[in-house]
Amino acid sequence: MVECLRNATFKVELQNGHQVLAHISGKIRKNYIKILPFDRVLVEVSPYDLTRGRIIYRYRT
Amino acid sequence: MNSVIIRRAAETQWQAVVDDRIVGHGDVSQRPDGRLFVSIDVWQEAVFGRLAAAMLADLPTPLHTLVGEAEVDLKSRWEQVGFTVGRREQEYVLATEPGDSRLDASQPPAGVTILPAGAADEDLLRALDRAIREEVEATVGWHTMPAEVLPRPAGTTLVDPSKYAVAVRNGQYAGLVRVVPVRRRARIGLIAVRADQHRLGIGRALLTHALGSLQRAGTDSAWAEVDASNTAAIALFEGIGAQRTGGTVELVRS
Repeated sequence: MVECLRNATFKVELQNGHQVLAHISGKIRKNYIKILPFDRVLVEVSPYDLTRGRIIYRYRT
Repeated sequence: MNSVIIRRAAETQWQAVVDDRIVGHGDVSQRPDGRLFVSIDVWQEAVFGRLAAAMLADLPTPLHTLVGEAEVDLKSRWEQVGFTVGRREQEYVLATEPGDSRLDASQPPAGVTILPAGAADEDLLRALDRAIREEVEATVGWHTMPAEVLPRPAGTTLVDPSKYAVAVRNGQYAGLVRVVPVRRRARIGLIAVRADQHRLGIGRALLTHALGSLQRAGTDSAWAEVDASNTAAIALFEGIGAQRTGGTVELVRS
C-alpha cells in the first residue's frame, strides 16, 4: 500500500507496477486490522474495473 | 444483469455468482463474547441485497456489522436490509513523542505507582481485570466497548499478562493499560480504572507511562478506539492531544 486516501480508500501498487484504488474488505474491518503505508497486502481486483480493488489480507511482514 | 446465484460456500461464507464469476462475498464470524458479525463485499451493488437476504435467512439474530464512518453508501445498504446504528467508535492516534502531544513528564499522582508491563502479580492483575469488567457490565455493559477480537481461552479475558501495566494506589491494584505493538504502531487495547478510583489522574498516569514506554522502544505513535458515548475516555485521550483520525459505526439487526 503506497498511500492512504480519503473515505477509507487506499492506493496500492501491484508487483507489476500497476496501481489500483482499493477499499478494505468487510473481514479486514471486522477484525480491526489496520493498513499502514508500505504494508504488503493481498488485493482482489474488480472484474469490471481493473483500476479498482479490495484489500482482503495484510501480510505480517 | 444476468441471473444471480447465491450459494452458501461454507458454514461461514456465502457467494454471489453471475455467469460463473464470483461477484460478491458474505461472511459471518463470532466474537469471543458470542456476538455474530457479518460482512458483505460486492462488485455489483445490486447483488448486496440478494446476498444479505440469503445470509439473514440462514442466521439467527441479533447480527452486527461494522462500517467506516466515511462509508456512507455501505451503511445505507445495511440500513436498507434492516440494520440500525447500535453504537459508534472514534479512532484516535497518539504521538509518543512528548513534544507532539500534551504529555507531561510529571510523576503519577501521590500514592500512585505504575508497575511496568510484565511486572504485576498475575493473580492480582487477573482479579483487577475481573473486577473492572464486572463494574462495566453492571453499568454500561461490556458490549458498548470497542471489540476484543483476538481468540482467548474460555473463562479468561486476560490472555497475555506481560502486555499490561498496572497502577497501584495505596497498595491496591487500581487500574490497568494493555498495549499491543503492531509493527510500526501500537494499539492501546484497553485502559481502565476501578470505579472508586476515578477522577484521581490514574488513567492519565497509565497512558503517560504507556506512551513513554513505547517512545523509548522506538514506536512513534499508538492508536485506540473509543466508544463515542464514553465521554471520560474521550476527555482523557483528547486531553493529551490525541488526534481523531476516523471512526466506525456498529450496525445491529435485532
